[in-house]
Amino acid sequence: MDLGLYIAATGMIAEQTRQDQLSNDLANATTPGFKADRTPQHSFGSMLLANTQGGVAVGSVDMGVALGKTYTDMTPASIQETSEPLDFAIQGDGFFAVKTAQGVRYTRNGQFTSSAAGVLTDVSGNPVLDQAGAPVKVGANGTVPASALGAFEVPGAAKQGENLYTGTAAGKAGGTVHQGSLEGSGVDAAKVMVDMITSLRTFQSGQQAIQTIGQTLQLAATQVGSVNG
Amino acid sequence: MLEGLYSAAAGMAAQQQQLDAIGNDLANLSTTGYKTERVAFSDLLYNRFDVAGTETTTGAGANARTIGVSRAQGSIRETGDHLHMAIEGEGFFQVKRANGQVALTRDGSFGVDASGTLVSSGGDRLEPPIKLPAGVSPDEVSISADGKVTAGGKTLGQVKLVTVAAPDRLLADGDGRFSPTTASGAPSAVSAPHIHQGALEESNVNMGREMALMISTQRAFQMSSTAIQNESQMMAIANQLKP
Repeated sequence: MDLGLYIAATGMIAEQTRQDQLSNDLANATTPGFKADRTPQHSFGSMLLANTQGGVAVGSVDMGVALGKTYTDMTPASIQETSEPLDFAIQGDGFFAVKTAQGVRYTRNGQFTSSAAGVLTDVSGNPVLDQAGAPVKVGANGTVPASALGAFEVPGAAKQGENLYTGTAAGKAGGTVHQGSLEGSGVDAAKVMVDMITSLRTFQSGQQAIQTIGQTLQLAATQVGSVNG
Repeated sequence: MLEGLYSAAAGMAAQQQQLDAIGNDLANLSTTGYKTERVAFSDLLYNRFDVAGTETTTGAGANARTIGVSRAQGSIRETGDHLHMAIEGEGFFQVKRANGQVALTRDGSFGVDASGTLVSSGGDRLEPPIKLPAGVSPDEVSISADGKVTAGGKTLGQVKLVTVAAPDRLLADGDGRFSPTTASGAPSAVSAPHIHQGALEESNVNMGREMALMISTQRAFQMSSTAIQNESQMMAIANQLKP
């Protein structure tokens, strides 16, 4: 019986994590090139119950909910026109590459600027790389043609934060680079709001289950065996 | 669980920053030579934890910062004033401030001071200075596209357009003036200056775009605040568990 308490608790813990992820998605509802996180929930694996006396199988019992590996939904988002010469967006698949102190990192956020050295950089000051891996120079007229930027295919790119992804490039990506526009955030705000409500209520029902089991246990501990009258 | 509260709060702070920038842009809807602020959003670090061998990650919210000003061209409006200048494309006018420092500006609403020297609307002299000789009225002045100032066939000077490697990193001084910093690089002459005489560059604030941005920013702010409420409600539910 007390097994049920822990099973319900795993559900609540899983919903907490889901809520945290949804909060992060909402916080990034306007971050260019942001991709939402999804964490699958699956059953923890079941256990076979058997009668200890006769050895006859009673049936299986599930052990609650486990969180799976978080994956990032890389579906390209819509592209918004900004008419800013140093804003770029990749239509379709692919990443821009930037050179950071830790090595080459990849990003979908093409909100770039220029450095004092006349090199195209991301907002943190990391130089943006072309297809050959060399820094992109800003032209004398202060602009950069879209064709100068590299677009890389990065299988299994993992989020690092600050709009950057880690991974290893595997050649040129299929997407095309556009100048004067930014990719919107991949967060579907309406869907996230609905998910939040679902998550909240699932959490609540976990709590209710714990409460009910708790009450049953209380009855077992206080009433069973007492002599009426 | 508390993480989610803070990531949502970070999201609200980021939207607030965007809203501030929109407010400033809208206030400068008709400021000559004004350029909108560029606000850059980014996500924050990710927390990776392992439950039963799986990698689950939760993010820490969002951050917004201004990365200087837009470089988009403002529309050019004819004014008919012979000393007004509008820059098409790259470049800034150089003016000498009262403290002797040279500042850059896109505001080309020049006039003359008592001595006949060209000054900006804020009273700063154009650098290098151009002085109209006595008896020459501003209406006789003609300024070529490359900045040569002449009056009655006589050359009076040259309007020098400069730019820096990183215009986004210029320090805004107010009054439409910018100061070069080490991050922006030193000013250098523009290779192909293009000046329109008798016209001004209008603010590049796009009213429709700013209004749309304001609405989406407000909604994003609201949604992050709902996320905080939800997190708080979940804590309240957990707190209702009694032995």
